Amino acid sequence: MTTLMTPPKESDSSNKSTRPSRASRSKVGRWVLFFAMMVIAVVMLYPFWVMIVTSLKSEAQFLAGQGFSWLSWKNLSATIPIGQEVLSSTIVCSASILIILVVGLPAGFAFSKLRFRTSTAVFLVIVSAMMVPLQAILMPEFVNVTKLGLTGGYFGAILVYAALGTPFSVFLFTTYFRGVPDELIEAGIVDGLSYFGALWRLVVPIAIPAIATVTVLQFIQIWDDLLVGLLFIQNTSERPITVGLAVLAAGRTTSIPELMAGSIISALPAMVVYLGFQRYLVKGLTMGIDR
Amino acid sequence: MAEITFDGVTKIFGDDIRAVDELSLHVADGEFMVLVGPSGCGKTTALRMLAGLEDITSGSLSIGGAVVNNVLPKDRDVAMVFQNYALYPHMSVEKNIGFALKIRGDSKSEIKRKVGEAAAILHLTDYLERRPKALSGGQRQRVAMGRAIVRSPQAFLMDEPLSNLDAQLRVEMRLEIARIQRILGVATVYVTHDQVEAMTMGDRVAVLRAGKLQQVDTPQDLYDHPANEFVAGFMGSPPMNLVRCHVRPGDDRVEVDFGDQTIELPWHYTSSHELPASGLDVVVGVRPEDVIITDASSPNTIKTRVERREALGAEILVHLSHLDSSADALANEQGALRDISRRSSLVAKMGPRVQVAVGDVLSVQISPEHAHFFDATTGVTLRKRKP
Amino acid sequence: MSERSAHMSVMTSSAPRVRRMTLRRRRQVAGFLFALPAIALVVGFIGVPIGQAVYYSFTQWNGLTSTWIGPSTWAQAFHNSNLWTALENNALLLLAVPFALGLPLGIAVLLHQRVAGWRIFRSIYFLPTAISWVVLGLVAERFFAYQGTLNSIIHALGFSHVNTNMLGYESTALSALGITFVFTMIGTNTMLFLTGLATLDPSLEEAARIDGAGSWRIFRSITLPHLSRFIQLAFVMTVIALFSALFSLIFVMTGGGPGYATTTMEFLIYQTGFNQGDFGTAALYGLILFVLTGIVGVVQLRLIGSNE
Ligand SMILES: Nc1ncnc2c1ncn2[C@@H]1O[C@H](COP(=O)(O)OP(=O)(O)OP(=O)(O)O)[C@@H](O)[C@H]1O
Ligand SMILES: [Mg+2]
Repeated sequence: MTTLMTPPKESDSSNKSTRPSRASRSKVGRWVLFFAMMVIAVVMLYPFWVMIVTSLKSEAQFLAGQGFSWLSWKNLSATIPIGQEVLSSTIVCSASILIILVVGLPAGFAFSKLRFRTSTAVFLVIVSAMMVPLQAILMPEFVNVTKLGLTGGYFGAILVYAALGTPFSVFLFTTYFRGVPDELIEAGIVDGLSYFGALWRLVVPIAIPAIATVTVLQFIQIWDDLLVGLLFIQNTSERPITVGLAVLAAGRTTSIPELMAGSIISALPAMVVYLGFQRYLVKGLTMGIDR
Repeated sequence: MAEITFDGVTKIFGDDIRAVDELSLHVADGEFMVLVGPSGCGKTTALRMLAGLEDITSGSLSIGGAVVNNVLPKDRDVAMVFQNYALYPHMSVEKNIGFALKIRGDSKSEIKRKVGEAAAILHLTDYLERRPKALSGGQRQRVAMGRAIVRSPQAFLMDEPLSNLDAQLRVEMRLEIARIQRILGVATVYVTHDQVEAMTMGDRVAVLRAGKLQQVDTPQDLYDHPANEFVAGFMGSPPMNLVRCHVRPGDDRVEVDFGDQTIELPWHYTSSHELPASGLDVVVGVRPEDVIITDASSPNTIKTRVERREALGAEILVHLSHLDSSADALANEQGALRDISRRSSLVAKMGPRVQVAVGDVLSVQISPEHAHFFDATTGVTLRKRKP
Repeated sequence: MSERSAHMSVMTSSAPRVRRMTLRRRRQVAGFLFALPAIALVVGFIGVPIGQAVYYSFTQWNGLTSTWIGPSTWAQAFHNSNLWTALENNALLLLAVPFALGLPLGIAVLLHQRVAGWRIFRSIYFLPTAISWVVLGLVAERFFAYQGTLNSIIHALGFSHVNTNMLGYESTALSALGITFVFTMIGTNTMLFLTGLATLDPSLEEAARIDGAGSWRIFRSITLPHLSRFIQLAFVMTVIALFSALFSLIFVMTGGGPGYATTTMEFLIYQTGFNQGDFGTAALYGLILFVLTGIVGVVQLRLIGSNE
């Protein structure tokens, strides 16, 4: 961990080498390395380059392959109801994440500290639900949610996202709380807390890093998702941005520069969250294997 | 009224782990009761049952006269200090101390006042804004104390609160806790495995072994009149010498055989103790400070050899073996190896200026008024109950 | 015990009923109540649909009415060539997995050398991870298009008469999809491996170097074994993504075509259900996908379990 925090000095390995030939070889090696990393960086930045460059053309300029203009950006909101879609995405994301947290935190507390008779088995069942892809249960799920009358507004999608995200959050919170000493909760209980009080006033504040991890991972997942939004939000006027883009793209009639401009807008929030909370993301991904 | 009564309290973990076995114990209001015993003897379990963190398998437990077997911890009004302090990491010292009051619904000004008072008693006033992470071990310990004392609860429960501190701080906090308890006058159950803490802090001390209560008494009584061999060996450092011997009670004296050497003890032991018939085995206990060096001409001495010498500064511990090999052989045969508390050699505690060296042959006497006799098979004291 | 509790109940008979519950019981009740919303959500939205899928897989179902057919639905499904095409496509895409693991492993090792600016490189490499696969699919479509970047590169290399249109042909569309998939997995897997490398004790490497081991030797005998758990985890995550996360890419890049060339199991389910209205068969296909991912999932559960 410390090695991640404090990068070694550049000359580290050459200093340690006893033979000068190794040192010089490693200097050449370092340049080769740097070059390779530059090449990879170019590849990884390619999508951004395509999005930006393409969005700065008009439809005609795009077909012609040259020229720049702001036209696509100016026309964007006429083609794609971008404001509405970003708002929808935001609503669906926040509500789903809220449910995932509200449901996952007490469950994690229960499975780690208030273990009831079948809790281990129940925990395993919930965790295995992490492996069930939505497509596997798509048809019954869709029919159920439709029959409940929830595919009109946001509710259907929110519930499905919440259900799909809950197993992971339960797993992560349970693992996290196992690392919290029992005495801490017991101290609170002797101090006069009910179990709910212990959850709300001790467990939740202590779990802030885990909450951040769940929030970041789920935000990116839900913001970027297509399938649930596509099927469970039937009103075109309530479509999230990712769905809006995908539908227009699949229709193949929309101007590609405008699609790219929309893509940039859709990508921005997730990228900001991502760059800001990279640390939590890595933690969440390796939860249970790296401790 | 906040006395505490354990009445036949038993805790069984799983199917057959009897962590606490038929514990009956009364702690008077304002009393400082120390629970002491070796590791795993059930001290923590007893305390956790009292706090309401663990169910009672059978028996009844009351605080202030009301049975609390099924009362939730929050309704018992007891405060607990945990061994690892269990401070809330996300709260400042001030919030930590005031937390229970806040839960209880005390007003802000009330909380501030009480926390201030507690902090003053514990010398924490300068640290109120800090998080627990930024405190030293001793300071954390005091915050844990503070969390307990602000509440003025019915009882304090403390589980080895000093075991994570260094030796010097421990001595300091020992006095401090005893002082605060006396000021507040709240019934306290204090768990420790350190017999020095037990001796110095408790109004009374309860000795536990394997879940069973061995003896409850004031520290001095416990030291002077241990109820059995276990208590005798557990309390006091270094522990009491326990030697298996033949005794021959007579009319005017009691003869005790250490191997093939014999000493005489005053006759009154025959009336104060139920000594067995002539020539049978008992376990004789002598505290190290009651083994006295004299010159060889004195009557009633045992010849011993110095095997080892530990200078502790204020005193010297001298390990002695009596000078006949048959005794050693006999003792070994009869279980010296099996039960370490019955040693064939004696440990004597001597003043720092005594000149002894390994290999010296010494004549020692046993302080005639301070011998203890225990049943050789049950280990129970042979002393008769005081009338 | 019973005598005691009888005694107790007399003493506290005026108190409400909960008062007589043991502490342990009350803790368990609280625990169960706390877990209940999660249990309900997972059972209601994941558990129950699995059961329904099993039932409906034996029926003819259009979403509104269903008629029981019986096991013959399964026999019929396995005679459907589309299912086999989709399974074959999934199997072929598995060929992308070694690349989706190998490239990130190489990149992680490069990053781990900590050359100047490695933190910036790290952020750049991870950045596409934040972007929706819908957007990445859009970009990939641009890349493979007739007038796209791929052809520009080929022309720049001097093969001006060569023109590709990988998404347009049955023979190449799946490869293009696989390449895109590898690209989309690079960020996540690199992140995993880099975390793994960070937990590697550098003194091990130094000790080996002093013992005269070369870089390759060190990688083989120290780094790789240390990373094995991370590689296993990445493998499982990659395979599961391959089975269940390609929908967005396919939806915007090919729509499953040309023909059925890029129709994988998950896309087949969507098409069968929502384009053909055959909900029963789609549910059945879902179960097949469920079993396929279940096999991989069991592996992952054992991975997680072995570390608890
Ligand atoms: N939750 C539990 N489940 C099963 N057995 C337990 C449990 N808690 C304690 N025990 C057992 O009960 C016995 C008493 O334990 P306890 O913690 O009360 O000992 P202790 O006197 O506090 O020891 P120490 O001085 O080491 O803290 C031990 O044998 C212990 O193994
Ligand atoms: Mg203990």
